[in-house]
Amino acid sequence: MAVTQLPATGVAKPQTTQAARTARARHRRESIVQTSVAALIALIFFSPIIYWFLVSVKPLPYTMTWPPVILSEPIFDWYEVVVLGMDPNVGAKTGIVFNGAAGDYYVIPSLVNSILIGVLSTIISVGIATPAAYALSRFHFKRRSSLIAWILSTRMMPPVVAMFPLFWLYTQADQRVFSAIFGRGTSVLYDSLLGVLLVHVVINLPLSTLLLKSFFDDIPTDLDEAAMVDGCTRWQAFSKVIWHYALPGMAAAAILAFITSWNEFLLTLTVTRTQFRTVPVFGSTFDVSAAGTEWGALAAVSTTAMVPVFIFVLIVQRNLVRGLTMGAIKG
Amino acid sequence: MTEVHAHKRKVPFWSSDGPWIWLLPVIILLVIYSVYPFIFNIIISFHRFDPMEKAFRWNFPANWVDLFTNSDFLKAFRITFTLGAIALIVELVLGIAIALAFDRSRVKLRGLWQSLFILPMVVPPVIAGLMFRFLQNADYGIISNILYALGVIERSEPLIGGTGRNVLLAILIADVWQWTPFVALIVLAGLKALPHEPLEAAIVDGANRWQLFWEVKLPLLRGVLAVVILFRIVDLLRLFDYVAIMTSGGPGGNSETISHYAYRMHKSIEWGMVSVVGIVVLVLAIVVTNAYMRVFKVKF
Repeated sequence: MAVTQLPATGVAKPQTTQAARTARARHRRESIVQTSVAALIALIFFSPIIYWFLVSVKPLPYTMTWPPVILSEPIFDWYEVVVLGMDPNVGAKTGIVFNGAAGDYYVIPSLVNSILIGVLSTIISVGIATPAAYALSRFHFKRRSSLIAWILSTRMMPPVVAMFPLFWLYTQADQRVFSAIFGRGTSVLYDSLLGVLLVHVVINLPLSTLLLKSFFDDIPTDLDEAAMVDGCTRWQAFSKVIWHYALPGMAAAAILAFITSWNEFLLTLTVTRTQFRTVPVFGSTFDVSAAGTEWGALAAVSTTAMVPVFIFVLIVQRNLVRGLTMGAIKG
Repeated sequence: MTEVHAHKRKVPFWSSDGPWIWLLPVIILLVIYSVYPFIFNIIISFHRFDPMEKAFRWNFPANWVDLFTNSDFLKAFRITFTLGAIALIVELVLGIAIALAFDRSRVKLRGLWQSLFILPMVVPPVIAGLMFRFLQNADYGIISNILYALGVIERSEPLIGGTGRNVLLAILIADVWQWTPFVALIVLAGLKALPHEPLEAAIVDGANRWQLFWEVKLPLLRGVLAVVILFRIVDLLRLFDYVAIMTSGGPGGNSETISHYAYRMHKSIEWGMVSVVGIVVLVLAIVVTNAYMRVFKVKF
């Protein structure tokens, strides 16, 4: 609104003051209405998370009441159990009646697993999707379009299709191949970091590849040509020059990959037993139908697991939105 | 143009002048993830696992006949489609409405509201399931109590429990909460990318906001909407997490989706059946996706 900062000359102010005033009032009214609507929508969607967080700072009896009570004195004993792994029954002095055993609700190991698996699988899947996407964008070979259609079809494939085949592959390979090489009882794939990583990499490959291809499509081929005229091989043109231009795409793909890995449940559940269980698999071990559900502990587990990824999302929000929309609009 | 015409001279497979070495890791991994399971499932679907002898026995065509006469599977099939169709419509209508609300020109602090609004998307569905299991508790759950007060459901038939009459509503609420932001976000990006000329022309022609939406914006958003719908269909066909956490398919199988049925079969070592279901859902996903992409001309 720099126009309003006119230098004070002797010229009379623009007339229509009355009209301008009503217009400004109307704008303010519109702004209030529109902002309240947006705020209301945001709060409706965010309020379950707040409500669930409040459960984590109440003693158990107060979580199971209607209407809900808001306590003036929040307790953080659930967090001692969930984050510090303390013996649940130590907290009994605050009125918690605990059925769980020590360590049942200790979320940190699975949180570490989730972050480790998320970061590693993101690096690997973007790392191998980027050259593939470059090739799909730059080379025009026979079967290129059927290859793209096939990659897309794996994105559409429900994971139950791969559930049992992967389970069988993992257990059989461990029993028959890896046990023979590394000694009996070795787990190379089933219930191991490698096996979980493989699943998390592979579920992200289709979208990463197609998303990055659309980014490479927007980078002019003149750049490749110039690099190759200067004596680069095609690999050098890619690895020294072109990929830098795809960095925003790689960031978007990486964020999407991390979130997909963070949320993945069915396949991780199938290929793990006790080791390398991610947060979703850990969350699924609680029986919430039983009468004695310790809601406070579950709420504390949820909050602890949600906070890191919320911070991550708020930091990368711009890229996340771009990745999601590119993923949807360009494939 | 530097498009490489590989046929002009023979490029060795491993040369970076040809495409294959670039694509090799992706192709190998995706073969393990999609081609191998497909072939393996076809073979296993003709067998039955014998837990005593720990071996597969030829069992054709019993699995396949069983599948199409099995009331559990047919019910899961019906539930998946009912729930999917309702969730899709609700999320689409809500998502478009919310995108329009966020797109208004005089919204203050838009970034803040948008950030809060998209957070449900990054809550792992399992965690969301735990949360909604609490919020939908028949006695002290806030959602249940609001729905009782509104007269949507009755205390004798709570969201989760009872005869399971309202259990799909419970799953629906969780799915709508988590994925409406996704629809809204993408529609919002589509709205922001709309060309100005048609909108301005319509405004000059005196179109009101309602006409502007129905006759100008919506037709221009067709492509974006087609892709959003496709992504939601694909996800709804594989719905599993909420069911596994909130209801385990119950009560009385009233919330069991296809994926949960397959998982239950997997748990009870009915691996022949798991493979049959795997092939059915794969074919289903391919048919739905292809038909949809053809009808709406979705291009990738």
